[in-house]
Amino acid sequence: MKRLLLLGLTVAALVFSGCSQKNPEVDMTKKDYTDVSTADKKASDISGMDKNNMDSDAMQKQTPDTASVIAMIEGKVTKIYFDFDKYNIREDMKANIEMNAEILNAEEAKSFSLKVEGNADEWGTDEYNYALGLKRAKSVKDSLGAQGISTDRIMLVSYGESNPACKESNKACWGQNRRVEFKILP
Amino acid sequence: MIKKIIIVLILLTCTLFSADATVEIVKKMDKLPKIALQDASDVTINLAFRKRFFKILIGDLKVSSHFDVVDEYLASTFEGTVEENFLSSLHPDLILRYKISIDADGEVIAQLKLINAKSGQIDNEKIYKISQQTRYPFLAHKIAVELNNYIGAPSIKWMEQFVIFSKYTGTKESEIVISDYTLSFQKIVVKGGLNIFPKWANKSQDAFYYSSYNALKPTLYKVDVTTGKRTKIISSEGMLVCSDVSSDGKTLVLTMAPHDQADIYTYNVETKNLENITSYGGIDVNGNFIDNDKRIVFVSDRLGYPNIFAQAIGSNSVEQMVYHGKNNNSASALNNYIVYSSREKESEFGSRTFNLYLISTKTDYIRQLTATGRNLYPRFADDGETVLFIKYYENQSALGVIRLNANKSYHFPLKVGKIQSIDW
Repeated sequence: MKRLLLLGLTVAALVFSGCSQKNPEVDMTKKDYTDVSTADKKASDISGMDKNNMDSDAMQKQTPDTASVIAMIEGKVTKIYFDFDKYNIREDMKANIEMNAEILNAEEAKSFSLKVEGNADEWGTDEYNYALGLKRAKSVKDSLGAQGISTDRIMLVSYGESNPACKESNKACWGQNRRVEFKILP
Repeated sequence: MIKKIIIVLILLTCTLFSADATVEIVKKMDKLPKIALQDASDVTINLAFRKRFFKILIGDLKVSSHFDVVDEYLASTFEGTVEENFLSSLHPDLILRYKISIDADGEVIAQLKLINAKSGQIDNEKIYKISQQTRYPFLAHKIAVELNNYIGAPSIKWMEQFVIFSKYTGTKESEIVISDYTLSFQKIVVKGGLNIFPKWANKSQDAFYYSSYNALKPTLYKVDVTTGKRTKIISSEGMLVCSDVSSDGKTLVLTMAPHDQADIYTYNVETKNLENITSYGGIDVNGNFIDNDKRIVFVSDRLGYPNIFAQAIGSNSVEQMVYHGKNNNSASALNNYIVYSSREKESEFGSRTFNLYLISTKTDYIRQLTATGRNLYPRFADDGETVLFIKYYENQSALGVIRLNANKSYHFPLKVGKIQSIDW
């Protein structure tokens, strides 16, 4: 009898202790409601641009006569186009360079400076494309220099992908965007 | 004898009751904790707002890759009924219940309860707030970051960071925008003309640099985020980009072309000292500091095609870093890793695909991170596990996020405009 009781107690003890708690005890950390976490960052007020503190970016103003001469010259010079990922002057563009040099050295144009603007198509990361556009502008500047245009008259800028001539997604359009253009400076 | 046996048995069984009392879920990262979200906000709070908040918070938990998320909008009471505290049909491990309110000053307050869905008991309670309603995405991000910390997962603090990006809005027109990583919050900070390549000036993100192309020469400006005050730093003919800032904020890595030639320079904003780093006659761009700001990794076409190189400051010796691909046009570096964008051959991945690759600078390790579309401009987060990038697909641009350890990629489309460059 005693053995049976002992055995029963043993079994009961083992069963109850062996069944470990299925629901783990929880850390009942109750937070004080006055303890509030803010999601504001340090720069909690993002301001827009303060226009009063901006430098004047205005370009030099032109007289009507100057403006019309500039428009006439810009209408005559032709764009120079480039192959994909290239900045050398293509054979079929050399005649354009020669023609542009004649126009820019003509009487009505030779007193003006000019801005040679390089551009790229949309392929690739923009920082590389700004540099590629600049190399294209440099190639044109050097070629014009070889044709007798004083390089002191020429300043370069690259617009990378920002200045597309067309926006379709096809090879013809991308070819139109890989170009150098000319702006006459008053 | 029997008494001795009983005593021994009692002692043995007592020790078996000393079970570990901490929450089991916290320790098991090999099995992701299953979590359900409940919206217990009052019906007076606009439902569309509540659902947008829900969507961002649930998105954060998914992107973290540290949770198995129940992707269902659930409403509940704040105290919780028995069913609401267990959600027995969904079998979650955790329930995150939030109650949004807006006080008289316009502050958004989120009261949270984290419930152990196995016991139905509250595990933790917190309150969060943010001062402006438009900034609610950052409220959600903070909650996700802290919940992630609470379960002991690797930090996702990058979710709280501002992203700054420029987007083309028209021909020679762009705007600079500060946003969160999901583009749910956006604030235009520079507009009017062509303003590009924004770059944070420091880790606290209270100022940034950007290039303005509105005057005769490209000009680099620094802007104070809080006041909007703009200061001219330097200008250059041709092109000008700030591509990196040293960790002490004093030295900028610039791509500029004072002699019609795009090269890498460093510029000390205090001493105004400009140092020419590269002088190759082709293209050198996209310089980034590595090795405690002592070396610069950059993109160059000196082999006839764009590739990734590194050069120590003060040395002329250049090391090629990538031996794969024939057009690697953008890179970001962190510790011993470089992530770069590479143009694929047309026959392999469709037409004109650019994919991201991850390499180690110490071993031959290389891993492809994307498969389709145009994936450009990668930027590492400080945690080394997350990469932000620009994804172009189907005539739309998007902010992409890759979680390296989980091998998952997410993207957040920009509805208007085309993303030009990014930083965070």
